[in-house]
Order: sequence, then structure tokens, then C-alpha cells
Amino acid sequence: MSNCKSCSAAPTCISAHASINQMHDRTQSLGIDTCFDRYEAQQPQCGFGMQGVCCQLCSHGPCRITPKAPVAICGATADTIVARNLVRLATHGTSAYTHHLEELAKTIKATAQGKTPFSIGDVHKLKEIAGIVGLDINKPVNELAEQLADVILAELRKGADEPLALVNIFAPKTRLEAWNKLGVVPGGVLSEVRDALTKSMSNINTDPIDLLLTVVRLSIAAGYMGLVATITMQDILLGTPSLTTSEADLGVIDPDTVNIVAHGHVPLVATAVLMVAESEEMQALAKQAGAKGIKVYGSMCTGQELMQRSATSGKGFAGQLGNWLTQEFMIATGAVDLVMMDMNCSIPGMKTVADRFHTKLVAVDRILRMAGVTDHVDYQPEQVAEQAKELIRMAVDAYKNRGKDILIPTNKSGAVAGFSVETILGALGGSLDPLLDAIKKGAIKGIVAVVGCTNNRNGHDTKGLTIMKELIKQDVLVINAGCMSSAAQIEGLMLPAAAEEAGEGLKAVCKALGIPPVLNFGSCVDIGRIGVAVTVIANALGVDPSDLPVAASAPEYLEQKAVVDGVFAVAFGLLTHIGPVPPVTGGPLVTKVLTEDIESLLGGRVLVEEDPVKAAQAMVAHIDAKRAKLGI
Amino acid sequence: MQRIMLHLDRCNGCLTCTLACAAAHSKSGHIIGAMMEGVQSRIHIQSVKGKAVPVLCRHCEEPACVDACMAGAMQKNPVTGIVTNDGNEQSCVGCWMCIMACPYGVIVQSKDGTVAVKCDGCKDREIPACVEACHTRALEYMDVDEFAAVKRQETAYQLAKPAV
Repeated sequence: MSNCKSCSAAPTCISAHASINQMHDRTQSLGIDTCFDRYEAQQPQCGFGMQGVCCQLCSHGPCRITPKAPVAICGATADTIVARNLVRLATHGTSAYTHHLEELAKTIKATAQGKTPFSIGDVHKLKEIAGIVGLDINKPVNELAEQLADVILAELRKGADEPLALVNIFAPKTRLEAWNKLGVVPGGVLSEVRDALTKSMSNINTDPIDLLLTVVRLSIAAGYMGLVATITMQDILLGTPSLTTSEADLGVIDPDTVNIVAHGHVPLVATAVLMVAESEEMQALAKQAGAKGIKVYGSMCTGQELMQRSATSGKGFAGQLGNWLTQEFMIATGAVDLVMMDMNCSIPGMKTVADRFHTKLVAVDRILRMAGVTDHVDYQPEQVAEQAKELIRMAVDAYKNRGKDILIPTNKSGAVAGFSVETILGALGGSLDPLLDAIKKGAIKGIVAVVGCTNNRNGHDTKGLTIMKELIKQDVLVINAGCMSSAAQIEGLMLPAAAEEAGEGLKAVCKALGIPPVLNFGSCVDIGRIGVAVTVIANALGVDPSDLPVAASAPEYLEQKAVVDGVFAVAFGLLTHIGPVPPVTGGPLVTKVLTEDIESLLGGRVLVEEDPVKAAQAMVAHIDAKRAKLGI
Repeated sequence: MQRIMLHLDRCNGCLTCTLACAAAHSKSGHIIGAMMEGVQSRIHIQSVKGKAVPVLCRHCEEPACVDACMAGAMQKNPVTGIVTNDGNEQSCVGCWMCIMACPYGVIVQSKDGTVAVKCDGCKDREIPACVEACHTRALEYMDVDEFAAVKRQETAYQLAKPAV
């Protein structure tokens, strides 16, 4: 790829970001292979895998559906195999979300008992949610917090035959009707995960339609527990995000400080580190080592969580380095001393780069392990104050071994962070009406949530950014969550000045309100925050989410959490664009159901379109159709 | 005359042919054994912007590799038409002239770097292992003229489509 600089796509075919292209040149000249190089080495990729028609479940197999073998040895069709594989992906994603939520519930309990350095960050939200789930809100805050945590843990663990309370409470009534009709209102999430995994064992559930309904059921469980409950509990503990500004891209790295990167999804250890980093004790350690101080940066969604709370519990946050594909390159600067890896998205390739430099990788979650990484500071709510100090000491020790081979790109951009229903209401003076009026009048044509992962299949962030720019040009307000947030932050789309790139209507609204045309809703679990926002808008207009001029796009989806997110958006009634074609195309029935038939049942459907401009146009056409139907 | 013929559009890059080739040329005769022995494939799947493109020896009528082979190890069998440097009177000395001469780049060094390795048409098999393994029928072992006839019919169908 490095030899293709003359092509017109050259500036973006590796990455849409100048910093990453510069760093890729550096890793190549240092002889370090990264994702981009390994991607090339993996070409061509197996067409059976791409189409999802490979089954490795039993020892008769592996079986593949081919022209000369149209069914597996057991008799399973392509649709059965594809749907069963999809169930397994969705189960993985749902399961991972429960880990995040459980860590939060446990932390809230320990905090309520006074055993952690944290305190309840949003008492108002605690009381609001506790009241909704039927707790006595006159109880003392800590007692109430503990009770709410117990409610959430019980919801996670109850049977599959006991409908999730949170779905009944939070879902729009019209959605509940649709889901009840299909029998997809889920019960306890862990029970749902058990049932789904059991169904997807060989020869238990081989009906592609029932398997697809299982995916929908899982996605609703993941949506209301993994997403909505997680963001709510996170807000209660760490505070609801507030509007703030920060910076993003590798240029934020300070060569003169001890540099710690919080990488992953669960911001608990990182928040504890931020709380103690400015203490005299820790600062003295850094200064003794010859550094000017200690800085904590963000990578991926943990960074987004810190950024959107950088006015409160994330105070001291030094900026966002980037998303999934940035992880090897941030280390290749030579100026990162320690990476705290929590939960998912820590790739083994990071270790290869870390070994070339002095960077210490530390697992800070009991479920995360990486070959060659021997430092584990597994998060314990009761011990996190001390664990945070230990991590800083490790970072200072690593700093002492830092070499001279440092290259930090100069690129960085400002970004506004902290958008949520609450901040939008705050900015609009307590009512959604100004926003709704702008939508009704057509100044804002509609809203598209461009969310989820990044993927190098079409160039790092290239596709996502093309879609965002195309949408805002056509007066569609864009909301980001997850790795797509980093993409927009780095390219300056989350600055009010980016309104200049928007169409006339959206530009005027942005200027009047002083907001960017691309709103930063935070991390990938904050897709739940988008769900909450869409629910509020639908309720305010008295319509179903599927009637709104709204769509979702995961233009560079990568992993299993994104699979359930995508299906959840469909179940929520939204047209959902999915970037790299998911591994379902080998099953004609499954493909037809997901891209066509499901719309009549759930209101949403999957839009598969590899061309980003065409994808944006299809979403705008969808928005126009919904507007026409609403008569606005 | 039968040859390994390629339908490029059908190849989906699963690489099964490379595994089957390695197995056919391994001591164990099966895929897992071949992977453990480190046997290399003699059929090569290249990637052009992610599209899989099999590149394999054409067993040319006037093979440049045979002309280039000074040791006389590389020979074209006058009966079967197979071009190989294996099992002939003279032995390969590893001068790599054949590798330089081959216009397709389908001759490679053996893993120990002593001899040239290329498709031998699976001499002992009725149908070459790669063809037998191909799930998408991108590779077919068929009479060259018969392949042309099939192609011709496909072309005719495309040409006639607007009219019939």
C-alpha cells in the first residue's frame, strides 16, 4: 500500500487522518507490521467466510455451502448456517455488554458502602430511575444507589421467561406492541445469552427464522440493558455528561510528561487514575523521574467516556488519541509510557509495537489477557484507589526507560463533547421544541446516527467521514457514538466552525445554537443515549420511532457488540446502514428478511451499500419519505 | 488434451486448492499433515484489490522454463504434456533459470532452497488435487476445446440476451 501514493485515493486509502498516514510510514520504515500491513497479508480473504456459509460446529465439518454441496453434512442449509452464525455473533456482543454493566453495578454498590474513591455523580438521575423502577426515593442516596444496583443485577440474572422491566419502562409503547407481537421481548440477559448459545449448538435450533428472532430478542436485551442501563448507571456513578471542549488526535501527546493511555470501554480504572494523578505524591514521583507531570489520554471508548465528563469526573483528561485502528500507532510515537487495557478491543498487534519501544501494557480488567503481557492490575472497586497509584508508579518507571526515538505528529483538533438529551434540553432552554421546529420546517431534514467501529477495509474512517460530510451537506444532523466519534473529532467536524461544511438549513441552526453539525454523543455504549434521544423525540411528536426522519449507520462495523447494536437499531424501527457487508449474504432467505421483509414487522431494515455517497443518498431518500409521510 | 482451466469469476479466495495441493505433495497425504510438514502449495492465489486470482502453471507447449534449464531437469512429457523438473533423468541443481524464464512466476524455490518447485499436474492422480478440492468450480480439469465451447456458448447467450 505504501507504494500507491500516486493514486487519487492515496491520501485516504490507509487512513483518513494525516497523523495515522504519517505514523504508518514510520512503522513501515521501522519494519513494524500493523493492521494495515497484516490486512494486505490476509488477502484474498475466504469467500465462504465472507458470506457466512462456513459451519465449524461439529466434527463432521467444517462444512461449506457451495454449488456442489448445497447443504451441510447434517442437512443444514445456507440460511440455517448463516442465521446460526449470526446468533453466535449477537450472543458474544450481548454477553460483553453484560460484563460492562455488571462492573458498574458492583462499583455503585461498593461506592454506596463508602469503599471506593468514587461518589454518586448524578443524584437527580439516581432518584429519577430509582423512582421509575419502583424504589422508595426518600431513602438516603447511598442506600437507594445500592438498591438500584441490586435491581439491575437481578434484571441481568432473572429467567428468560420474566420480561425485562427496563424494556417495559423505557421502550416506546408502539415498539412494545411490535415486539410483543413477534414474541421477542427478552427476559434476564444472562438467561437470554444462555438460551441463544444453547439454540446455536449443532442440531438444536435449525430454523433460520426462529434464529433470526433470537437475534432480535438478544439485541433488545442488549439495547435496554447493555446500552441504556449501562449509560444510566455510568451517569449515576460518574455524572451525566455536560457540554465541554477537548482535543483529539496524536498531536495532543506531550513529550515532556509521563503519558498514560486509557484504552477500552469501561472508564472506572481510568477515572480513578485521573482522580489521583494530580496529587502531590504522584506529581513528585513524576518530577523525580524528570518529567513535567502526568497526563492521562483516551483511546477508543474509554477516552470518549472521559472526554464527555472532562468537566466533572473526568477532570484533567488530556485528550483523545484516536479509535480502534489508532492503537498501534499511538504506541509507535515512542512517547506512550503505559496503556491501561480495559475490556474489549485491545489487539495483540499492540504488543508487537510496545516491544519495539518501552511502552508497558497493563490489563486492568480480570477478563482481559494478552500473550506476553504479564502486568495485571485487575479492577477491584474496593481497591481501585490504590490500584490507580500502582498504575501511575508503573507508568513513571516505564517513563524512565523511554528512548529518544520519538515522533509525535503535530495534528490535533478541538472538539465539543458531552451531548445528551439532558444537555440538548439545557442548551434549548428546557424544551425540545426549537429542535423539533427546525426539523418540521426542514432546516434540519432529519437525523442520522453514524456510529460504531472503524475498519480498514475501505481506509481507516474514510467511509464514515464521507457519509457524515455528505449527510450534513444535505441538512441532515449527524450524531456520533463510538469509534466514529474519534473520526469526526480528529477531522474537526465536532467544532461549531464545521457548520460551514453543512447545507444552508443546518448551517443556520448550528450557528444560531452555537453547535457543531456533528454531535458527539460519546462512546459506543452511548448508542443507548441516542436511543433515549430518539425515544424522547418520538414521544414528543406522538409517533413511533419508525415514523421519524431518522436513520442509523454503522459504516465501518467491526465486532460483535456492533452486530447487536445494528440489529437493535432495526428492531427500534430504524433504517440501518451497515458498512462492510455482514457475513449473511450466503443465506438468501436471511438476507431477504434482514434487508426487506423485516421492515413490515419491525419498521426498520438493514441497508447494505458499500459506496458511502450512495449510502448517504439512500438514507436521505429514506428521511425524505418519512417526512412526506408525516406531512412535514 | 486436458488442462486445469480457470473460471476467474468463480474463485472466492477460500484457498482450499492450496491446501489440497500441499496435501497431495506431502508425505502424510492429508491437509493437517501437510501443514505440519510445512509443504508449500504449487498453485498460487494472488489478490488484486481483494479479488482472488489463481495463478498456476499452464504447462506451455513451448515452455520457457524447459528452454532455460541448463541441467536438463525440467522436461515436458511428450505424452501427457506435463512440464516438471521432478522424476526426470537429470536432477534440478537450483540455478533458478526456470524461475527467471517463466512468464507467470509460478515456479518457486523449495523451502530448503535446493530445487525449483512447480505444478506437476498431480502425475499420479486422475484429476489434479486442486481441481478436485475446488468448491466453487473455479478450477476445472477439462479438455481445452471443451472449455472453449462452454465459453463460446456463454458468450452467445450474453450476445443473444437482448434479442431473445
